[in-house]
Amino acid sequence: MPITSEQIKAVTADLYEWSLKKVPDDTQLALRNAGARERSSVGAKTLAIMLKSADAAERSGGLVCSDVGIPVYSIKVGTRVRFDGPVRQAIVDGFALLAARIDPPILQMVTNPLTHERSHSGKDIPIVSFDLVDDADYVDITCAPKAMGTGRWEAIETFVYPSLEAIERYVLDSVVKAGSQACPPMVVGVGIGGTFDHAARIAKEAVLRPFGQTNPEPVLERMEQRLLAAINELGFGPMGTGGDTTAMAVHINYSGSHGFVPVAVSLNCWINRRTRARIHGDGRVERIE
Amino acid sequence: MSREHTLKLPLARADVERLEVGDMVLLDGHVTMTIGLPTHQRMVEHLDAGRPLPVDLAGGAFMHLSCFNRERADGSGPEALYLNPTTSTRYNAHMPRLIEGCGLRLVGGKGGLDAASVAAMQRQGCAYLSFLGGGCTLLAQAIRSVVSVHWADYIAQFRLVTLDVAALGPATVAIDAHGNSVYARLRADAEQRLPEIVRGMGGAG
Repeated sequence: MPITSEQIKAVTADLYEWSLKKVPDDTQLALRNAGARERSSVGAKTLAIMLKSADAAERSGGLVCSDVGIPVYSIKVGTRVRFDGPVRQAIVDGFALLAARIDPPILQMVTNPLTHERSHSGKDIPIVSFDLVDDADYVDITCAPKAMGTGRWEAIETFVYPSLEAIERYVLDSVVKAGSQACPPMVVGVGIGGTFDHAARIAKEAVLRPFGQTNPEPVLERMEQRLLAAINELGFGPMGTGGDTTAMAVHINYSGSHGFVPVAVSLNCWINRRTRARIHGDGRVERIE
Repeated sequence: MSREHTLKLPLARADVERLEVGDMVLLDGHVTMTIGLPTHQRMVEHLDAGRPLPVDLAGGAFMHLSCFNRERADGSGPEALYLNPTTSTRYNAHMPRLIEGCGLRLVGGKGGLDAASVAAMQRQGCAYLSFLGGGCTLLAQAIRSVVSVHWADYIAQFRLVTLDVAALGPATVAIDAHGNSVYARLRADAEQRLPEIVRGMGGAG
């Protein structure tokens, strides 16, 4: 049975709404655990208010943040899947459907970079990336709306034969630059290697990794732990008003590279927008998170 | 030690001078907000030309809060559905003029303001409040009514909106009226300690 445009449209809209109204369970748990460890009284109070805010939004069907971001979807297509009808257009239509129906209504965030005009649509919006999963009979759709709070501070730089220490220093410098402004505690995703565009993409995938998973490469697992500890020594704290909790997680991905090595740093704020669904080849839709 | 206050707007200089960095506050009364850069520019143009702003902000609170507002379908006036802070630093260039030119007692949003704004706040007697980014539903519980919506030629969140609020917050005093900024202190500390933190990582591998 083929996957229809209507299914893709519906899932596109649903994922966006879930992203705006629910802080992922693993993230709420991380905030709760951080609150128990936090030594700053302002930091601990701020973490408690964050959990209260997440709870209020989830219970009432309200928005967690007014900056609903711009729509970003990453799609993994199983090679056994058949489509009946357009896919890209279904995603455009899905976001338009969401913007028209969501309650409470959302503010216009999609901005023409040349004129600064705002609307709910724009050139190449939603931003969609595709990848293939060999032999799979499903399509996975991940939705991660990108807002101003962290979007402004993500960074990329290309090094030549960098040491691991140089890579770590760049990540720390990028976090210090964002400082109090990116709604910490953040999730920090790092992409090392590949090409300019690829490093950014794997950094973004790293941000979207569920908590508790580490990079299988021991050298990167240790780097994740070292960077998380170092970032939390910086002192910016929850909402940047001081404390021990500046990041909830550091996730690193790498790819084969040349002597030139792009390093990308992607950030998510404390609400850590991230939802996924799987459309199975038999038509079932499964919400993964 | 973090103390808690409820502040009723408008405020006198003495009311904000007793606030300390790290105090938590709730706001009652009229709070004016926008997140439009063009709105800030228009406000400064009014001040420069000696034209009154559509809202008298003397002694008041002017916040970088994004507010969903619209005309009610039945024509009975505007309604506000929710509000939430945005990063204040992108308005740095306009804030000293607005803080002193309008006679503000409270500014706020999230992420702080630069040294020129901190100096203007100290001269004026004004404090900066950090609201919870991602506090949309929580902060909306404080909305009592819409007092006014000006400059409706802008998109909703760029308009100059004044709300009557009850217990808006809690917000953290992050810059006080005496020149103390938690943001400046934390950044200076982080930059100073960074080499030591890097050494403490013990090298990669």
